[in-house]
Amino acid sequence: MAERKIALVTGAAQGLGLATARRLGRDGFKVAVNDLVDDGRLSELATELDGLAVPGDISDPDATSAIVSRIASEWGRVDVLVANAAYMTMSPFLEADPVEWWRHLDVNLSGHFRLIQAVVPGMREIGHGRIVIIASGWGVIGQANATAYAASKAGLVALTKGLGRELGPQGILTNGIAPGFIDTEQLQVDADDAGITLDEMRRVYAESVPIGQIASTEDIAGAVSFLAGPLSSGMVGQIIQPTGGITRTRA
Amino acid sequence: MPDLNDAAPVALVTGAASGIGAACAALFRERGWRTAGLDLRTSDTDVPVQADVSDAAAVAAAIAQVQEQLGRIDFVVTAAGYYEEGIDVVDITRHQWDRMLAVIVGGTVNVARAVLPGMLERQSGGIVAISSELALGGSATDLHYVAAKGAVLGFIKSLALEVARSGVRVNAVAPGPTDTPLLLADSIWREPEYLATLPLGRLVTPQEIAGAVFYLASEGSQYCGEVISPNAGAVI
Repeated sequence: MAERKIALVTGAAQGLGLATARRLGRDGFKVAVNDLVDDGRLSELATELDGLAVPGDISDPDATSAIVSRIASEWGRVDVLVANAAYMTMSPFLEADPVEWWRHLDVNLSGHFRLIQAVVPGMREIGHGRIVIIASGWGVIGQANATAYAASKAGLVALTKGLGRELGPQGILTNGIAPGFIDTEQLQVDADDAGITLDEMRRVYAESVPIGQIASTEDIAGAVSFLAGPLSSGMVGQIIQPTGGITRTRA
Repeated sequence: MPDLNDAAPVALVTGAASGIGAACAALFRERGWRTAGLDLRTSDTDVPVQADVSDAAAVAAAIAQVQEQLGRIDFVVTAAGYYEEGIDVVDITRHQWDRMLAVIVGGTVNVARAVLPGMLERQSGGIVAISSELALGGSATDLHYVAAKGAVLGFIKSLALEVARSGVRVNAVAPGPTDTPLLLADSIWREPEYLATLPLGRLVTPQEIAGAVFYLASEGSQYCGEVISPNAGAVI
């Protein structure tokens, strides 16, 4: 039997990261799960997956290298990095607090820049690797009242493409996913903001999508599984868009 | 006792006799699907039917035969096509232009029209058209091929929207230069100088194109008019 591959998933305590960690576990990966702190959910997930909890704030440079060293000392390497952790708040552009702008860039973009810097040397050593970057449909087509978030995700799109070109010749394939609406905990926040129920919020979003439905976290985790697995070995620097038709352009 | 095999979904692949089409049919079969192949020649599929994709009546008859033998068609891959390179635009003859459009565009449209009624009736199913990375980035001296592959993308994106609420998913895969018999030994895409410009430094394999197609067939419910491009980094 082939040796099990090792994946690191950031932002794994809930939502898409959680579904992704479980999916990669089912796919046969040994999974290291990261989130800001371990409030119990992370170690529970690690136990469930027979994996490893590696809590830490990826916007903190010391934390990123500690996360990768911890996995290296336990398991020796990282074959697949899923760059999923993200921060999001919304506000009209002119009311946007500069602190919020920098927080988006620190977590979503710079955090993963540093984390990728920490994992790539090990991938180079073993001569292969996959980096799956969770961007956003809003990073491709823009979004009113979410300019900082969209800009940070657009940065990830360009990071995906640049890394695809730079690391592809070394056998490290970087690709990204730009999802649309996903049925996560965020929907409750959006519903509260809009003063409607969760079900009403789901319907509002679904109606705005050409296919008339929003994605489940499992749907997007399936896209990660594809980009982390053997079926996508011809792809590099690509952004795939499981958005139900919201983003009708190439990213 | 029900035939368990009948529960397996059915994939129809055009151009299934060779190259990308053959790799798609092989992967679907390996993953437990029943397969039908529509090609000028016979194909290694459960139900090989021989027809010219540019002939609408022949396509309709062939697809009716597949539906009758396998009960339904869940997923269609339109991979039938051919390639010509090294022709300056002014040297492309009217015949070359017409034939390319008839096979690539007409072949995609004819097949889509023949399979859609069944899919719309069942409110499920999917179509993936094989386009080309050249349709995204442009190319020189194969302009009729690239124009036809670009038209396929426009067709697919629009059809995807037209049937979006029906549960039928329509998408495209745009391969990079792929190691198939369509790329002749002296093709510019096989030259080491060209391959060295690609981030992966090599042609993609027909199996890698099939991988993207199979992903869309098996887990592609959230894609609508999407273009997935396994291209070795030719277009990023």
